[in-house]
Amino acid sequence: MTIAENLFENLRLELRRGCLTLAVLAQLRQERYGYTLRKALADDGLVIDESTLYPLLRRLETQGLLASEWREEEKRNKRFYRLTADGEQMFTKLLGEWNAINASVLKTLDASPNETSNANQ
Amino acid sequence: MELLDRYLQAVRKHLPWQRQDDIIAELRANLEAQLEEKEGALGRPLTQAEAEEWIKQLGAPIQVAAGYQPQQYLIGPNIFPTYRYVLKLACSWATIIYSIVTVVQLFVVPNPSNSALLDALLHLPWVLITAAAWVTLIFAAIEFAVMRGYVKVPALCAPSPNWTPGSLPPLGYDGATGKKPRSYAQAVAEVVFGILFLGWLLLIPQHPWLLMGPAATWLKASPFELAPVWVPFYWCIVAMNIVQNGWNIENLLSGRWQRPQPLKQAIFKVLGLVPMAIILTAPHQVVVLLRHPATDQAQYGLQLDWINRYFHWSTEIICAIVVIQLVWSAVQLTLNSYRKRAAAI
Repeated sequence: MTIAENLFENLRLELRRGCLTLAVLAQLRQERYGYTLRKALADDGLVIDESTLYPLLRRLETQGLLASEWREEEKRNKRFYRLTADGEQMFTKLLGEWNAINASVLKTLDASPNETSNANQ
Repeated sequence: MELLDRYLQAVRKHLPWQRQDDIIAELRANLEAQLEEKEGALGRPLTQAEAEEWIKQLGAPIQVAAGYQPQQYLIGPNIFPTYRYVLKLACSWATIIYSIVTVVQLFVVPNPSNSALLDALLHLPWVLITAAAWVTLIFAAIEFAVMRGYVKVPALCAPSPNWTPGSLPPLGYDGATGKKPRSYAQAVAEVVFGILFLGWLLLIPQHPWLLMGPAATWLKASPFELAPVWVPFYWCIVAMNIVQNGWNIENLLSGRWQRPQPLKQAIFKVLGLVPMAIILTAPHQVVVLLRHPATDQAQYGLQLDWINRYFHWSTEIICAIVVIQLVWSAVQLTLNSYRKRAAAI
């Protein structure tokens, strides 16, 4: 991997990190277990490794944003996650922040049409 | 699947022991669901090669388990800026204190070996490594205690909320001339080398070769010797160095090292005239004597006369140059001061 590719990968991961949390919170407005959550995210275009997603769920649960319970489904015990009341509040706030950032970036790009057209190419 | 069991067993080894069973059970459920889906899509069980490829994609066991560990730092980002600052200070002060102790030891020990100074210099890296190790250990302990929630981040380790823009260091007078202002490293180097120079100076009476090299042996065997006027000259130089080192250390401690001090430079130039004045006012302008005048006067008398005369003239010329430099500095200082006052009006 060249230095430029390495830099891009680092910046891409940095950019994705916050977005992943938001996407996971968004998906868990509906109860899911780890694998179906991963599939749902992938179906929406956000592919995420098992080694990233499952520990993230644990962290969000420790932070009180998710609640989980073991339940049997299709003859197999699975751990289902859903948003808590705190998680819902946090999701609303984060979504507002994300929308504001997104709007700002789009506004900046609109202000410099050359860059927008270059980026689109 | 045996391969999956082996994989989960390998992951388990690296997990926090309190949550091992719970995490492995969840991982197993998720991975088995994934496997079922894969096999359902293929309509057959995975081959050994396919299973290995799938397991490999999941990531190395240690890497997967690491995600479940709390984020750990030896020294975390909250206290790292303070750590770096303290490390720099500790290394600077370890160098200064070590230099002072070395010089005192060299001066106190009656007959220090010729390699004592070199040995001391070679030992300096170990002193610095020890200082850095202690600072790192202390900050790692603080980080550990803060992460475990035993203590809050100490006030000294966090940026002070009471800082004021007025307390920011000045740009330096050199900003006007476009030269870079003095760095902290320069100020520390000035103190360290000043102390080492003083140590070297104090060793000269016992080890003249430090000043003259092989010529010291020649001087000892020659019919000439230095006149007593060199004693007050030498101690005058030593006293000036002590004052200058004291001044530099005080500047470093008080933070004044950042400001250029033209007045200080002028004072030391004036003081530099004192040892020259001592030489110029030597009785009968004699700086070198004959060791055995009764026997050697006839043979070396003329040479002695020339040595003393040339030395006196040389000193007069150097003295004149220093005086001219002083006058020039005084004129520049006055002009700068006048320009500033005029600009202020």
